Amino acid sequence: MSKAILIDTTKCIGCRACQVACKSWNDLKGGKATFSETWSNPRYLSSNQFTRIIFREISSPDGQLHWHFISRRCMHCHDPACASACPVGALIKMPEGPVVYDDGKCIGCRYCMMACPFQIPKFQWESAVPLVRKCTFCADRQAINLAPACVTTCPTGTLLFGDRPELLQEAHRRIGAQPGRYYPEVYGEKIAGGTSKLFLTAVSFEELGLTQAGFRTDLGNTPQGLRGREWMSKVPYVALAVGGLAVGLHYMNKRRAEVHAGERQEDENDG
Amino acid sequence: MAEKIEKWYPGEGKLTTGWAIIYVILVLGFVSACARLFLGLGATTNLSDAYPWGLWVSFDILAGVALAGGGFTMAAAIYIFNLKKFEPLLRPAKLSAFLGYMMFVVGLFFDLGQPWRIWHPLVMWNPHSVLFEVSWCVMLYTTVLSLDLFIIGLERYGKQSWIKFFRDIYLVLVVAGIMLSTLHQSSLGALFLLMPQKMSDLWASGAIGPLFFTSAVIGGMSVVTLESLISARVYKRKQELGILSDLGKGLGLVLLVYFAMKVTDLYARGVTVWVWDKAHFFFFVELFGTVALPALLLCFKEVRQSAKGLYWAAGLAAFGVVLNRFNVSLTSYGGYRQISYFPSFIEIIITLAMVALGIVIFDLGMKYLPIYKSELTVEH
Ligand code: SF4
Ligand code: SF4
Ligand code: SF4
Repeated sequence: MSKAILIDTTKCIGCRACQVACKSWNDLKGGKATFSETWSNPRYLSSNQFTRIIFREISSPDGQLHWHFISRRCMHCHDPACASACPVGALIKMPEGPVVYDDGKCIGCRYCMMACPFQIPKFQWESAVPLVRKCTFCADRQAINLAPACVTTCPTGTLLFGDRPELLQEAHRRIGAQPGRYYPEVYGEKIAGGTSKLFLTAVSFEELGLTQAGFRTDLGNTPQGLRGREWMSKVPYVALAVGGLAVGLHYMNKRRAEVHAGERQEDENDG
Repeated sequence: MAEKIEKWYPGEGKLTTGWAIIYVILVLGFVSACARLFLGLGATTNLSDAYPWGLWVSFDILAGVALAGGGFTMAAAIYIFNLKKFEPLLRPAKLSAFLGYMMFVVGLFFDLGQPWRIWHPLVMWNPHSVLFEVSWCVMLYTTVLSLDLFIIGLERYGKQSWIKFFRDIYLVLVVAGIMLSTLHQSSLGALFLLMPQKMSDLWASGAIGPLFFTSAVIGGMSVVTLESLISARVYKRKQELGILSDLGKGLGLVLLVYFAMKVTDLYARGVTVWVWDKAHFFFFVELFGTVALPALLLCFKEVRQSAKGLYWAAGLAAFGVVLNRFNVSLTSYGGYRQISYFPSFIEIIITLAMVALGIVIFDLGMKYLPIYKSELTVEH
């Protein structure tokens, strides 16, 4: 059964315990906190930071300010663009849900980073032997029947780990039960072919101003990788057609030139 | 005695300024390459998580391969369309194509995070990946081009029986070369099919594969023209203006086709063209300055029949192909991020050094291989 995480952002209090839990489980170095124009810290995901909470302060129509805390991490797409892109198959989608990465295969071409519509894979730029890093959905913990570290740590139940169909049902139940509380769409249900991260938010991602920051809403429901695969499915036919045409034209044009030369010969003989 | 000492480098009899610059760049390039390998990408380039692909992908890989399209274009013209008059241009085209692909391979080597794993696609397959196909095609085609050069080398050493063997299988090489080129030239464009949302509408086209293929033909033809004109001047050969103006006619035609394809594509997708910003500026330069303008120039007989006219037309067209590759991979992607990217000194030097190395190898080829000597041709 494919696992997923339901992220009910309306429950999040922005404590960042998940960030810390993720760091300690995955043995990631701590970063240096810096001031910026936002409360979010750190400022970006990196090869050292698989998840972070984005802080947004939005005023509602009645003029009241509201905090929104949005957890950001790999979406673990059903049909991941990163996996379609990788030339050596270093990224694969496991039937259990996680999209995992094989350190031993990656050549460091960074096509996955270009292809991922959610801008998730990050590179170890500082290393001379760099690898790609991103949230693993704690595949190693799932293998021993543990929930992901971030989920286990979350004190408010924002993060809920379980089977995807059930979580989806639960998400829609919550929207139905408290329509005023939620934006009536589950981000991740259908987008880009569906993902293993399901987001409930109070307002739309457009209103949150995050569509350019990893939560695109213009991706459509077809997976991005499909376009590459469609192209690849045509390749053998194009190869055959071009090869066949080339050989055919070669003999045709050669023959034509010979006939042409022969005719000229005859003309000259006649004349 | 003095003359002997002067001969250690492969330039002309004496060290000219041009060659001096090339050697300086090569030395700097070697040092930069070592720095890149030992210190890593982050320390030596301006690439980042926001810009995973930069100068090396745009120039060495995308533009280099497109400009090296002359090999398969000329082979197709001569062997498939039986346009035998272009035969004198085939070998120089092969040589420059080989250099273009060497640039790809070396450029890729430095660009990869783990260069020593460059062989992985050979054994680790992902047939869904466009990049997987590109790596296979480029690998095989580089082999074909090396064989081509090898045959030319055999001629120099008069290995007749070997030459006969290759003559017998030559059509296989030609057809394989055309097939592989068609596939990877268009697939390099298809790499960008996966990320239309990240790109500017001006270039994010579903037809990017055929567009890349056509512009590679343009790149190839214009480089062959420039190569012939420049090498005639440098190596004091007679200019082949007759053939070149015929080739110019062909180039003009392909440019027109490409222009029509571009306009149709933009129109069909309903792209807003008449806006004024940075991306549109580069777009206008590309479409009008380097596609429409050379096409127009080549309509005139006077242009096609003068060396200067051909220099300009082919130069603009070749520049246009390079600009297009930069536009697709950087300009187009740039509007999407607040962070901007400009290559670091080391990125630029390594690229320049590869061009310099190309010039050195070209020079060696011209001197030691029968490149422009048609009397020794392999053909029957
Ligand atoms: S979000 Fe990006 S990195 Fe994660 S699975 Fe989807 S395509 Fe891959
Ligand atoms: S960087 Fe590594 S994981 Fe990403 S596409 Fe390239 S080889 Fe695959
Ligand atoms: S699932 Fe695991 S790797 Fe991913 S954010 Fe949570 S703790 Fe980190």
